[in-house]
Amino acid sequence: MKLVLFDENFKLGLIKGSDVVDVSQATQGLRYFSPQEMMNLLIENFDKYRGHIEDLGAKGNTLPLSQVRLRSPLPEPIHIVCMAGNYMESGTLSEPGPISAFNKSSSSVIGNGDTVVLPDAPATVFEHEAELGIVIGKRATAITADQAYDHIFGYLNFIDVSCRGIGRPGADNFFIGKSWHTFGPMGPALVTADEVVNPQGLPVRLSVQGELRQDYNTSDMAHKIPEMLEWITSVTTLEPGDVIACGTNHRGLGPLQDGDKVEMEIGNFGQLTVHVTDAQKRVWPRETHAQREAREAGTTSGS
Amino acid sequence: MRLVLFGEDYRLGILKGDAVIDASSVTDGIQRNTPQQMMSTLIANFSQYRPQLEHLLNSGEQIPSNQVRLRAPIPKPPRLVCMAGNYMENGTLAQPNPLSAFNKSSSSIIGDGDGITIPTADARVFEHEAELGIVIGKKAERIQEENAYDYIFGYCNFVDVSHRGRSDDGLRHNFFDGKSFDTFGPMGPAIVTADEVPDPQNLSVRLWVQGDLRQDYNTNDMGHTIKSTLAWITWITTLQPGDIVACGTNHRGLGPLQDGDKMEIEIEDFGRLTNQVTDSKRRSWPRETHAQQEARESRA
Repeated sequence: MKLVLFDENFKLGLIKGSDVVDVSQATQGLRYFSPQEMMNLLIENFDKYRGHIEDLGAKGNTLPLSQVRLRSPLPEPIHIVCMAGNYMESGTLSEPGPISAFNKSSSSVIGNGDTVVLPDAPATVFEHEAELGIVIGKRATAITADQAYDHIFGYLNFIDVSCRGIGRPGADNFFIGKSWHTFGPMGPALVTADEVVNPQGLPVRLSVQGELRQDYNTSDMAHKIPEMLEWITSVTTLEPGDVIACGTNHRGLGPLQDGDKVEMEIGNFGQLTVHVTDAQKRVWPRETHAQREAREAGTTSGS
Repeated sequence: MRLVLFGEDYRLGILKGDAVIDASSVTDGIQRNTPQQMMSTLIANFSQYRPQLEHLLNSGEQIPSNQVRLRAPIPKPPRLVCMAGNYMENGTLAQPNPLSAFNKSSSSIIGDGDGITIPTADARVFEHEAELGIVIGKKAERIQEENAYDYIFGYCNFVDVSHRGRSDDGLRHNFFDGKSFDTFGPMGPAIVTADEVPDPQNLSVRLWVQGDLRQDYNTNDMGHTIKSTLAWITWITTLQPGDIVACGTNHRGLGPLQDGDKMEIEIEDFGRLTNQVTDSKRRSWPRETHAQQEARESRA
């Protein structure tokens, strides 16, 4: 099932091919005060709502996707815990780095079709980090690795937009590096876990201006999903509707700048498209980390 | 006015001396699922509720505060932004550090009388950081320094309990498991509304462990003032009513927390926040502050 929120009042929908089916009737009995809380309650009690959503999906009002405004399926999760440097980098690392994470502000979340606004901060560059997002399905405190998948409700596309070269030298600068307004594009759909047979074997692709930049597989993850959830929940309690971002393979990272169109898709999750604006209209060399490394290696060898 | 939450159902109360006045009648009309939603709504619309609360403050029945269980007055803020290294350290720094902050998980929050549970994770030490907490009163996005105080609803005692670990593995990016452990965010007992705090940049902050005074500094030693801190944070991320900003600490008086410790903090006359520490591994550390350790090492 691919769940979405759409239009100005964040109605619940179901993706069916190139259409969205309005299933908002299923949430009418819920008592909530924000779209995020509606989703939290739906996720926490999904067994109760699943049948109704499926029925509505079969016979509900169908709208072409092009005619609706898709929102982030989780507009303001209490926790967005992002893994830092959690990939083997296509064989360029000999062993996993120490397990590490940061809290990204929920004010950063935007949805499909929204715009990443680069701030007037003196960064050396702004970059995209395409990541597998995990949506928590039930309260998780100090769970063990073998319990991890029981606590996962679903998955989504997530881009951890990042600001580099700013902050206090030698310190943890993830706040100013990651928590900017609009730096957390997510969606368009929340894909329920039953549709994802092997979350450790998913292709992750991100392109900028139609050019493929990131193209890696979640099989390259250093600390796998069960170990990751065991560690995160040994620190902090997660709740239904919280998001864990699994980190990225840095080889394909590259700059984002004014006018860019960014497209991302994991497996068959559906494409997430966002735009970029920068009032300062800064530009950077259009190359990925891997391309830069190859160029620099070429320079030093004199070839 | 000093606002508290108390009891199993997180009722709104007003602290008056050593007594709590039940003010839950004022919040009956606030639609909510959680105590945090109630507080965020109350704060965002406070001028509407203030007259009723003032009436109760003068006429309501007083319950001795030791007969109720006080809860954290902001039980689960969507954002809990803590400043890192934001004091001049009693003249030991020549200039302020560059502005720096981190998001602390709201799952860390506990209230007065709750226990701090030291996790089994490897650590060099666990420490207390006594801090001035700011409660945001209205939506704040890219605000100007000169308007910063318009966005402040009130203040509270806050302890940023910290895990110092893994220093030997070269990993410096560790605010997540340095700060976000469950129970590592004691807060309260009350929110003191801003009108009762004439000069937030001149408040004494004191913290005791086992009755020994460890931290004793003034908020006039802050590296980046409250105004510049709020302008900087909201340049990056939007804050909402009921969010918390912790102003950082003066590190000179930091010291270890260990099993059996009774920790108490009080900023000016905000009321005392008391928490007990437990550690199932019963680790112990030298009972000295950073300043004491430095003095000992310079003598050696």
